[in-house]
Formats: sequence, C-alpha cells, structure tokens
Amino acid sequence: MMNNTDDIRWVTQLTLLGDKTAFDKLTQKYQSPIRRFFLNLTVGDTQLSDDLAQETFIKAYLNINSFKGISGFSTWLYRIAYNVYYDSVRARKYYADINEQVIDNQHQMQNEFSTEKMDIYKALNLLRKEEQTAVLLFYMEDKTHNEIAKIMNCPLGTVKTYILKGKEKLGVYLNKNGYGNEQN
Amino acid sequence: METNKTDNLLKTFFSENKQEIPDNGFSRLVMAKIPEQTDHSWIVWIFAVTGLAISMYFGISFGIFQYVQVIFEKIPIIYLIGGIFFFPLIGTAGYYIVLDKRFQLI
Repeated sequence: MMNNTDDIRWVTQLTLLGDKTAFDKLTQKYQSPIRRFFLNLTVGDTQLSDDLAQETFIKAYLNINSFKGISGFSTWLYRIAYNVYYDSVRARKYYADINEQVIDNQHQMQNEFSTEKMDIYKALNLLRKEEQTAVLLFYMEDKTHNEIAKIMNCPLGTVKTYILKGKEKLGVYLNKNGYGNEQN
Repeated sequence: METNKTDNLLKTFFSENKQEIPDNGFSRLVMAKIPEQTDHSWIVWIFAVTGLAISMYFGISFGIFQYVQVIFEKIPIIYLIGGIFFFPLIGTAGYYIVLDKRFQLI
C-alpha cells in the first residue's frame, strides 16, 4: 500500500514552494507502477511505454495545480496515464496494425522484461482495450472498482462488466494453457 | 465457486507477472525534460496595486466612498450576508466547470 501522506506533502511542497525535488520524489516513487502499466498495455514495447510514462509525468507536473486530493495522487496519475495512452492509441492507430506474430518477433528481441512475459502479453491481447485496462488496474495494480471508475471516467457498473468479461476470457485462456492445473 | 477459482487463478497469474521496473535514470530524464515555468504573477500585483491606487484617488477626490457607503447602508443586511456566502459557492462551481475535464475532481 502506498503512503498517501508523503504524496500530499510532496504535492504541497511543489505547488506552494515550487520545490522540484518534491516532484522528483513522486516520479521515483511512481515510475515503476506507471511504466509497468504502460508496458502491459503496449504488450511489452519498452520504448513506447517509457515515452508514454515520460509524457504522463510531464503532464502531471504541468497540471499539478488541478490535483484536488479528492482521490489519491496515484489515482490521479493513473488517470493521466490512461488519457495519455488512449490519446496515443488514437493518434497512432497503434493496435489496429498489430498482430500477435509481430509482437512475438519484435519484442522478444528488444524487451529485456518481456522474454519471460509472453504469456501475459498473449493473454492480455485476447481482451478489448477497455477490458485490458480495467483488468490490469484491478489485478496488477490493486486498484478498487471505484478508483478504476475514476481513472477510466466511466460508471462503476461498466468497470465491473469490463473486469468480469476480461476475467472470463483470461480464465479460459489460462486453464487451456495449464495454469489452472498448476494451482490445484 | 467457479468465479472464485478463476479470480484466484488470475490473482496468482498477475502477481507472478508483476515486475518492479528499476529506475535506471528514468526519473532523471523526466526531471531534465520538465519545462521551466516562468513566474508571471508579478503582472497580477502590478494591476492590483494600480487599480487600488486609481480607486483610492477617485474615491477620495470625488467622495465616491461616501456615496458607496450610503448605498451599502440602504441594502438589507440579509442580502449582504447572502452575497458573502454565495460568492465562494458560485466561484468554486464555475472553477470546476471551466477546469479541463481530464484533471477534474480527482
């Protein structure tokens, strides 16, 4: 569980005193989860995920005055990340041109994290974009349904549906690939 | 029962695949790319001081302050109190409406 008190203190230092080192601390704290989130959404493209993560942190810095503290800083940051990602998808039409084989060939070579992670990328690739996002936020980033609804800016019921559908599809895939047996 | 099983299966699967990504200079790169923001707040102060000086000049020279005082004395106190309470509410509501929706209310 991340410590929200530190976040609020650093955000206050940044907004009131213009203390950039406070933002550096926030970046160091959240770089791993945000980069992991993008890495999974881009099915292992390290370069793209790092570019998107950088854009997210710069946008967060420039819009820090808009953070109201109603939700945690982490939720706010994920919301920016979510918007950055979908802007990127719209701009590049990235996923329309991608197929599983290209991912296998392209990223297995270039991504230091991905060689052992192909199963998760293959599994995530079975889901629709919204399902991927909701499932990743719920199972990987330990966000609650309410937080996901805020991040994705959609009703709670819709989030639950995305997770349920994603869960069904992934369940079938994992059982088919022997994961269910390992657990028994 | 089956749903719980799938749920546990997914939790295990995702926790096994959860990786901590080392910083490796990422934060330094972000900090280097952060644009310098020039502080233009002094403009606000110049306008505020100029405005105050002009209003003081006219207020004192032409007796506008006394005139305003008379008007305020004629306004029922309940309107004044209402104004004081409603102004921040309307201001805050307007602020949230104007704010970019991407960063709004969270």
